[in-house]
Amino acid sequence: MNNLDRWLMIPALILPAAASAPAFAVQYLSVEQAQKLLFPGADQFESKPVTLNAAQRSAIESSSGVRVRSTQISAWRVRQGGQASGWFLRDEVYGKHEFITYAVAIGPDGAVQGVEILDYRETHGGEVQNPKWRAQFTGKKAGDPLKLDEDIRNISGATLSCKHVTDGVKRLLATYEAVLK
Amino acid sequence: MNALVDTGLLQAQPSIEHQRARPLLGTLVEIAAVGACPERVQAAIARAFQAVEMVHTLMSYHEAASDISRINCGAFDRPVEVHEHTGRVLAAARQMAEASDGLFDITVASTLTQLGFLPRHAGFPRISGQGNWRHVSLLPDNRVRLERRLRIDVSGIAKGYAVDLAIQVLQDSGMHAGRVNAGGDLRLFGATEQTLHARHPQTPGNLVPLIELCAGAAATSAGYYTQRRHHGRMITPLIHPHTRKACGTTRSVTVLAQDCMSADALTKIVHADAARAATVLARFNARALMLEHDPVTGGCRIFDSDATGHGWHARWGVGCESQQARHV
Repeated sequence: MNNLDRWLMIPALILPAAASAPAFAVQYLSVEQAQKLLFPGADQFESKPVTLNAAQRSAIESSSGVRVRSTQISAWRVRQGGQASGWFLRDEVYGKHEFITYAVAIGPDGAVQGVEILDYRETHGGEVQNPKWRAQFTGKKAGDPLKLDEDIRNISGATLSCKHVTDGVKRLLATYEAVLK
Repeated sequence: MNALVDTGLLQAQPSIEHQRARPLLGTLVEIAAVGACPERVQAAIARAFQAVEMVHTLMSYHEAASDISRINCGAFDRPVEVHEHTGRVLAAARQMAEASDGLFDITVASTLTQLGFLPRHAGFPRISGQGNWRHVSLLPDNRVRLERRLRIDVSGIAKGYAVDLAIQVLQDSGMHAGRVNAGGDLRLFGATEQTLHARHPQTPGNLVPLIELCAGAAATSAGYYTQRRHHGRMITPLIHPHTRKACGTTRSVTVLAQDCMSADALTKIVHADAARAATVLARFNARALMLEHDPVTGGCRIFDSDATGHGWHARWGVGCESQQARHV
């Protein structure tokens, strides 16, 4: 049977809504694992959390052009053999469909050395916009029992832009310039 | 997720799986690999990311120093020499354009710019006159010349090419299994069958199990995440090269092929003209699965270019097509 030119006439299958799988979530790296990958030679990660004041916040917004949603910055000062070798920053961004935590390595020269995604979660509905929904994923350690849909790993879906992460990195660079440098 | 994984076939030696994701090529690129020891797996993933980064640097439309920007800026005045990888992608783009009689065309970049999907570059020469893929000349020694004042954009197939390169790196590094997914351009290898999911075109948060495969490439194009409002209408960056109009937003097209670069290019051809795409798909030994929202059940209708089912085994079986058709 050769119906190559007529494949559009009749669907090969109608899949009911119930057959569609739940939302997708994956944890790539813990903070510790990302620290090791981004600063392989470092021997000290000193936690230096920062709370931005109003002036710093608006300075960061105007120099990066990106809105600052949270004034709490998760930062670690990185050292290797006593020498400062940069900063490790952990941050989160969300879009309409997805919630992403990621880490940025900033070298002693103030340049981005690497970006790693830590967690990626998406939903069917509007939960991403809900702070309570997001809160359950923040501050989580590797191995915490929050596992969703482990068998879904291969999604061929049209491109979800990485704009939120790219904007987040811009904001963190401006944060570095304003408060960490 | 870093966990001990039993691959089933390799019980004599422990297998370690790692996966990482980074923002590249305008999307999130995920690379997973299974190998004998954590250090080797991490090293292989790092090398695979380097390959993706290289493609990003060479072929980004957005970066002013990329090969593509140098072509767009100066290749009308004189031939521009590009990297071997860029040369390969441009040659593949030309092959696809020839095979599809221009249903695949990298010169739709100017339309994408007009519609706001691609940025305008200050200082680039103005576009003038009519032109298409035939006016992109590939000269010996990886030199490129534009015969008209055109803009080219290879984002889609370059993403597929980056996936293919990264898979090659994982294989050359001795990994038992691997997966690279660049925003829906996906390729995998290994002994275990895995389910490939696609997004429901109407409600992209819902995932539809599509097919089982242990090796091969898939690419999906749809408008659900990329559509934007233009003069009061929702449009997608999927441009019909002949009419230069944006295709509708309702369908999702997944193409299964031997390599990811071909799969990505073929999705554009199916979007532009699904009926004519059938012969092109057959020529590249590829298969298209088109998803449409089904208003009756809220699920989706799946159209299959290869309803006779050779080569690929659909998760939901191909034998049920006649029964299912009765539901229409």
